[in-house]
Amino acid sequence: MSIESILIVGGGLAGFTVAQNLRARGYAGSLQIIDPAGIPYDRPPLSKGYLLGDKDAAAIELAPASWFAEHRIGLVPATVRALALEPLGVELEDGAVLQADRLVLATGGSARPLPIPGGELDSVLVLRDRQDADRLRASIAPGTRLAIVGAGLIGAEVASSALALGAEVTLIDPVETPLVPAVGPELARRLHAMHAGAGITVIHGTPAGITRTGTGHRIELADGRVIECDEVLVGIGITPNTALAEAAGLQTDNGVLVDENQRTSRPGVYAVGDMARTRRPDGTLARRGEHWEHAMNTGATAAAAILAQEPPVHGASWFWSDRHGTHVEGVGDMNADGTTILRIHDGEPVAAFRVAADGTMLGAAALDGGLTIKAARRIIDRGIIVPAEALADPGVPLRKLAR
Amino acid sequence: MDSTGGAAATGRRAVDLGDTEMLEPGTALLIGSETSGHPDDIGLFRTENGDYFALDDECPHEVASLSEGWIEGEEIECPLHSSRFGLRDGKVLCLPATSDARTHRVEVANGRVLLYPGTPA
Repeated sequence: MSIESILIVGGGLAGFTVAQNLRARGYAGSLQIIDPAGIPYDRPPLSKGYLLGDKDAAAIELAPASWFAEHRIGLVPATVRALALEPLGVELEDGAVLQADRLVLATGGSARPLPIPGGELDSVLVLRDRQDADRLRASIAPGTRLAIVGAGLIGAEVASSALALGAEVTLIDPVETPLVPAVGPELARRLHAMHAGAGITVIHGTPAGITRTGTGHRIELADGRVIECDEVLVGIGITPNTALAEAAGLQTDNGVLVDENQRTSRPGVYAVGDMARTRRPDGTLARRGEHWEHAMNTGATAAAAILAQEPPVHGASWFWSDRHGTHVEGVGDMNADGTTILRIHDGEPVAAFRVAADGTMLGAAALDGGLTIKAARRIIDRGIIVPAEALADPGVPLRKLAR
Repeated sequence: MDSTGGAAATGRRAVDLGDTEMLEPGTALLIGSETSGHPDDIGLFRTENGDYFALDDECPHEVASLSEGWIEGEEIECPLHSSRFGLRDGKVLCLPATSDARTHRVEVANGRVLLYPGTPA
């Protein structure tokens, strides 16, 4: 049976990519993205350029309205209440039912609330979508005392942006050096030290409770310390939005389970992006990917799978982050079994490479590394063996070694 | 940022950038307005095959210099967020950039690399 209609639930990067790739691959049937947010937009700027006001809502759209019209991709600005499996479709909040030959779930994640008293307060800010960013932006004025719980990617980027907006920022994390799993301890230490260097109050501690005060909030730490602030932002990760899938009986386990072609346990239903979790052919579950590129890659894979075309090949996973004027990139796995080779410049680590015993590169991370990570990505994907001395030598452009 | 006026002012004037070996294959060079007479910086790219192309140097996505990017075949990958653009036509090939890079015509004639700032390829 040929496919004549496809519904995509969720218009983030993953859902958008499915639609874009379906059209690029020649699918000419009905195609709709259901998302209350309307035109799909890019999220990385929400903690940076958009929060700072350098980019407006139009500037972060993944494509202009005219593009969706040209490509006959319908944007349904609605919330899905339930999935229907026989026949395949969705029920919208107003009771309307849409049917399709294929269903793609791209519902993303929600900001994880702090599991402490006060963590559920409406006045506690999070940053996940554009509305969150608008609210956060409206909460920050010069002199605003902003406490951020969680110094991972979102927390660190917001801390940097809020500082630029004139806020007095306190950054709290129970982990002494965040981001070690992403970039390794050496670069993570240097990155984390940049916060204090920029004038942020950095606190190593575990929040135990948040209470409202007359004009703001009070955060109590487990060790009794108290932080008085105007606003609180919590950035401690996400929980995947699997409720629709669970209610419909799809298999889930901290994510909707999919095979390597993004197919869920229900024929005709696919899942992509932050909320999808891959079950490998041997039955083991992969770690759920939450980075920008993962959303795009899984969307591209799903589009190919839906059309029964050759799936794209994706290389080692890659991410970036920007804070305090420093561009951070990582590729592959800095936690893999092996040893770390550091590249030191002016006494500071600028790049770290995770290398297996046989010399294969497994992961790499760099600060303001120029083309270092692009080269590392190719070295990893192509299995190129690079001498350890060359990796450690800041005078050797990695680019030469990847050719 | 709009250089329509600049393009009209520079017209089809060619700038002689150098001999055909001025760039190693697989490398790029920033051509500033003092050289090109064009208001915006231009990136000059040479592919591994030896062909020359030119695009606006600034990535259409965020402030980044495409001439500091990675040349692969006939594509340039932005050094910052890895959007890729076709060197021949400036077409954006992947996110996060969503618009094309503007091309400038480059000719190789009589052993010289000639850039036509403001004239599309």
